[in-house]
Amino acid sequence: MTTDTEFQITDEMKAQIGVESEPWEYEVTTTSVRMYARGIGSDDPIHYDVDFAKAQGFRSIVAPLGYIGTPVYLPGTNDPTFGFPRRGGGPRLNIPFKGLLDGGTETEYLDVICAGDVLVETSHLADLKLRDRPGGKMLFVTNEAVYKDKTSGKVVAKMRLTSIHM
Amino acid sequence: MGEQVYFDDVAEGQEIPQLKKNCSTQQLVLWAAGSGDFYQIHYDKDFAQGTGLRGLIVHGALKHAFLGQLLHDWAGERGQVRKFGCSYRGMDEPKQDILCRGVVTKKYQDGGKNVVELDVWTEKPDGTKTSPGTATVTLPARG
Repeated sequence: MTTDTEFQITDEMKAQIGVESEPWEYEVTTTSVRMYARGIGSDDPIHYDVDFAKAQGFRSIVAPLGYIGTPVYLPGTNDPTFGFPRRGGGPRLNIPFKGLLDGGTETEYLDVICAGDVLVETSHLADLKLRDRPGGKMLFVTNEAVYKDKTSGKVVAKMRLTSIHM
Repeated sequence: MGEQVYFDDVAEGQEIPQLKKNCSTQQLVLWAAGSGDFYQIHYDKDFAQGTGLRGLIVHGALKHAFLGQLLHDWAGERGQVRKFGCSYRGMDEPKQDILCRGVVTKKYQDGGKNVVELDVWTEKPDGTKTSPGTATVTLPARG
């Protein structure tokens, strides 16, 4: 981990706050919903059995809470570790710290997300905070994303993610 | 998922049924595949220790998803989780119990909806809260 105590949030970095990214498609498939449900250890058939989900009145199996689709992966375009798209627009921060941790997640649902949905996501940098820690500093980076159903254009979810760089 | 919980039967201060998790490293890999988050600190011990960590740690967003499951299971088929979130204040390790808990903090009606607000969190076996947060859920009324 860096012990860089000189790092400061620059005006150039602050200017990135609120700049909207280009849109990117997120897919919700039966396979991805089942995989995510297995990952959390759920045994609720609503996430696995299409017939069961339809009998409950849903379009298909229901995405577990916290899963809002998988960004379409294009080699050379998406981050190979985290999968998120490196697209045009949006923030371009030159962060020197090597350490990275999750800081927090907040998800708001305006509709139920089901397999078969294709969502269009846009995001922006919402906040930057710098704090001291023993031996260095920590940079809190908060991004906000909005997910719209591709067919209807309706906002179905919003997510606020904070990462900690140190 | 248990029996349907109704707005009428919920009281402020009431704790909802707990959900206990204990992640194997296999589960962390399963969730990495499901989420697309392949950060090596969750499955490569050498890499994790190279970043200054003691060893592998559970994904923060997986604990968020555990809290989602806690709320999903409690709200039942006719309830809806509108919003939930948490901050990651402490690390959890594989093969260690993670207890997911929630307590009702407020109930009210808004625009014809029966709204319940909760404090939610994950905690270690010693009671330390590692992912405190809040949630908003709507529940059906009896009758």
